[in-house]
Amino acid sequence: MEAASVPAGTSTKRRSRDLSERRLASYMVSPSVLLIALVAAYPIGYAVWLSLHQYSVRQAGLSRWAEPNIWSNYTNVLQDDEFRQAIVNTFVFTFFSVGLELVIGLGMALAMHAAFRGQGLLRTVVLVPWAVLTVVTAIMWRTIFDPTLGIVNAALGTDIVWLGETPYAMIVMIIADVWKTAPFMALLILAGLQVIPGEIYEAAKVDGATMWQRFRKITLPLLMPAILVALIFRTLDALRIFDLPFVLTKGQNNTNTMSLESYQTFTANNILGEGAAMAIITFVIVMIVSFLYIRFVGGNIRGLADE
Amino acid sequence: MSKRLLFLLCAALACAVFVAACGGDDDSGGTAGTSETGSTEGAKTIDVKAMDSAKGEATYCSGKDTSGDLKETIEEFNKANPGSTIKLTEFPEDAQQQHDQFSQRQRAKSPDCDGFEEDVVWTAEFAQQKWLYDMTPYIESRKDEFIPSTLESVTYDGKNWGVPKVTDAGLLYYRTDQVDAVPDTWQGVYEEAAKGDGIVYQGSAYEGLTVDYLELAFAAGGSVISDDGKSSTINSPENVKALQFMVDGIKDGAAPKAVTTMQEEPARRAWEAGKATFMRNWPYCYALSQQAPKVKGKFAVAPFPSFEGGEKAAILGGHNMVVSVYSKNPGLMLKFIDFATSAERMKRNAVKYSKAPVLKETYQDADVQKALPFAEELQQAVEQAKSRPVSPVYPQISEAIFKNVNEALSGQASPEDALKKADDQINAALQTF
Repeated sequence: MEAASVPAGTSTKRRSRDLSERRLASYMVSPSVLLIALVAAYPIGYAVWLSLHQYSVRQAGLSRWAEPNIWSNYTNVLQDDEFRQAIVNTFVFTFFSVGLELVIGLGMALAMHAAFRGQGLLRTVVLVPWAVLTVVTAIMWRTIFDPTLGIVNAALGTDIVWLGETPYAMIVMIIADVWKTAPFMALLILAGLQVIPGEIYEAAKVDGATMWQRFRKITLPLLMPAILVALIFRTLDALRIFDLPFVLTKGQNNTNTMSLESYQTFTANNILGEGAAMAIITFVIVMIVSFLYIRFVGGNIRGLADE
Repeated sequence: MSKRLLFLLCAALACAVFVAACGGDDDSGGTAGTSETGSTEGAKTIDVKAMDSAKGEATYCSGKDTSGDLKETIEEFNKANPGSTIKLTEFPEDAQQQHDQFSQRQRAKSPDCDGFEEDVVWTAEFAQQKWLYDMTPYIESRKDEFIPSTLESVTYDGKNWGVPKVTDAGLLYYRTDQVDAVPDTWQGVYEEAAKGDGIVYQGSAYEGLTVDYLELAFAAGGSVISDDGKSSTINSPENVKALQFMVDGIKDGAAPKAVTTMQEEPARRAWEAGKATFMRNWPYCYALSQQAPKVKGKFAVAPFPSFEGGEKAAILGGHNMVVSVYSKNPGLMLKFIDFATSAERMKRNAVKYSKAPVLKETYQDADVQKALPFAEELQQAVEQAKSRPVSPVYPQISEAIFKNVNEALSGQASPEDALKKADDQINAALQTF
């Protein structure tokens, strides 16, 4: 009897102490939660509020709900050809740039991981593009692809106005982005490579696995978590791309992106409600994409780890 | 993990919506009373006499004073007027940033900027929102001194909303070693250009292309909006003709394909590399090109020729000085503006800082003519210059023009289709106010 009740008593005691500790903890984090709410929630809330309102230069002030109904900024924006085109462009850009960055970044990471003389130097050199500001990157590539004075036309002997023609402008933008952020991808993947224990490879070698088999069956599966993190980072970044098209093309020739269109509408054209609605739509799209990543690709990882 | 993340996101969103609801209440209480009358009725008018007894402090806001003339003017004003102090607040160099900085302050009814140096295209937008003092009585007293086209840029709804300070108009640069004289028409210029190394201009999709296109369209007899400012007139035969002319120019090799990506500086670089026979650009290139080895001493400037079957036209650039209605010391600001736009100051700005004057008499001054060798051509260009469409939604009108014209130039749309699309966009923008 006694022997049974004593442990029960201590366990309830421990639980209640757990609870009060937890409550204390929640009190202690509340200031920072409040701060986050102020810093993060207020701007988002204000954007939501703006997106439901109307502002015109004739009726100065922002007091009117959007007309004819409060969602009309959203319906207008979603029916707007320019913004639809911007959504398509953003996804095209994201798909190709992140895809190429993944392949090239993986290659770079494998090269950096291999032990050889000059490894330190290689790592430093590879990371240089990542350190360059995006705006500077854009100006640099704009100069390289300049139709009259640039090196590309001179080298290829072509006469293409790279930033002034439809598929080419997007291609230049993707090249500039891949050049700049593949090293970032490589860095994240390299970190993943370094935690794979060498014994696994040795065991595989003993079992007679070829190099390709070792890569397919050991490196890739164990690298998946790192790759996923890198992919999420880069995809979310690419979906919000602003500075490259802003400097390279100002959105002409099908390089307009969601962020750029939102900025143009909001600041340059003074249509605050629709600009805010575009920003919120961008925000929601980015959120949905990140959920999809975690839901599907994240599930795969767990499956692979179980195998 | 992902559940907790989801919960946190939902909580944040709930918070956001809550904040949004509160924000809504506050603001609708605060600004519900703003007037909804159509025009600029009820705007405050400047009291010219207040200038005489003005004292105290006032702040003038302007884009970065890169040449230093503004700082010098303020220093001299403060020295000449003991008891009153003008302070300078500098905004970024980028015109859009200056526009946004000033707009934000005015929306908040802030007295930060007693005066502001606006771009000529913002007059209607600011006046319509009742952010500016009506300066008509002051302008009336000096009307004859100014070049008439510069006054147009401060006029909206029949009233004057500012005082012109510096003007600008495009010029045609040409290589004297390749052409003897500038042809009388744009058509002639393009013919010569096709025979030589071509003409470069600003064809990238931005404000500069709106200007370059309108220079030709206005010369061809076109317009952008109706006289009452309520509907678009961009889709006219004259405008199509002007656009077709530019498109053909690229097709026939009078202008390189690359002009569709050029702004002022790339055009100047191509010109200074000796790769063009003609260049359309602003006066600032004159001094710079005189230092470029390949074109130095081999070029001259001219005001624009006329369009075949049309007339001569140019587009006015430059800056005006305006007074904010939220100023606590409008009298002192006006006194400063009077000082900064005086004939004496205007001459100094031209001679020392190469700024194009807005006063007629300054162009006749011998020192000015010596400092600006192309003063005569510049005055002609400014006199024949027209304002860009005066409308509170000018930024949207301009975007409709430069985006669609650029698409036509790069061959993505026919001139007819491009202007039809611009027409729809401009009409949609005009309906919003």
